[in-house]
Amino acid sequence: MISQWVIAAALVLVGVYLLKARRSANQQAIRRLFLVVALLGGFIAVLFPEYTNALAGFLGIGRGADLLLYSFVIFGLFYAVYQYRRQLWQEKITTDLARSLTLTQAALEDLASQHKDQKN
Amino acid sequence: MSIASHREDGGGWLCQNNYVMSPTASPEDTRERGAWVVVPLFNEAEVITEVIRGLCQDFVHVVCVDDGSVDNSVELAQAAGARVLRHPINLGQGAALQTGFDYVASQPDATHVITFDADGQHRVVDAREMLELARRKRLSIIFGSRFLDKRTKPGFKKRIVLKVAVLMTRAITGLRLTDAHNGLRVLSMEALGHIRLEQNGMSHASEIVHQLAKAKLSWREYPVEVLYTEYSKRKGQSLLNSVNILIDLLVR
Repeated sequence: MISQWVIAAALVLVGVYLLKARRSANQQAIRRLFLVVALLGGFIAVLFPEYTNALAGFLGIGRGADLLLYSFVIFGLFYAVYQYRRQLWQEKITTDLARSLTLTQAALEDLASQHKDQKN
Repeated sequence: MSIASHREDGGGWLCQNNYVMSPTASPEDTRERGAWVVVPLFNEAEVITEVIRGLCQDFVHVVCVDDGSVDNSVELAQAAGARVLRHPINLGQGAALQTGFDYVASQPDATHVITFDADGQHRVVDAREMLELARRKRLSIIFGSRFLDKRTKPGFKKRIVLKVAVLMTRAITGLRLTDAHNGLRVLSMEALGHIRLEQNGMSHASEIVHQLAKAKLSWREYPVEVLYTEYSKRKGQSLLNSVNILIDLLVR
């Protein structure tokens, strides 16, 4: 069945994305394209339910509702992974910020105590 | 003096000239000056005073990196004689170590960094011996290991956890260490230049090994005793956490 291959490939892609995703403009563009495609697909699925059924039949899934469910799960996984990576990146930024604050404060304290030493 | 230049002239000379370097040092003060001790600190009020006092008897420069403690650890560490740096928020032990490393890297008179846990499980005498070995043999890294002799009694469960960590570290880094998660290490300034910890949590131990293995610096393990007090036992890591460490190292 074609559907098995398509779904397996999508899951592998999610895994690759989890391990390899880097922040780049290209990836952002791809994510936005995905969103646009998903929106358009949604429109078509709502307006012409028979297309969904036809596509599901072509892929070997059977019902259009099943096709929607499978796509929903895959998109959901992608979203979870994307958010996870985003969170890692945010943590790194927060860490860098907090560290530079800590080190700046330490440098100031050291300067102040040197100054005091010199006065004494 | 710039950071870059002091790293190249290595250890040694400073030990003879150290009294010239600092105007406040008295000639009777025979404590170690070139090696800076970095102690990541998070809510250890019960034990931190004793740990810092012990270190200050042998080392002039004891730097505590407070990782947003909510008890009075900071005041106690300061009172006991440590230079305390404070994270504004809790980031994790790995982040605290890296902050300490950055601070020491900016010190012109530093020759080595010693990492030392705040919970009282390490012995100061081990740190001194490791530093001495690093200087004598000109080694870049000395890892403390509790499994090179029979002194440390980790208990069955802890032993399993630590063995899993060792096997995992070996698989990932190729370095044949006997104890991957020992908080006591001595690093030369050269080694420090190869380290950039990005794992904020507890995965930094494997990360340090990983980065040092990549740098291909000279290293050795040194047998140390880990003191399992009731206090430190309460704070141990679980076996499941090794899953976290594995994922942390794979997903970055």
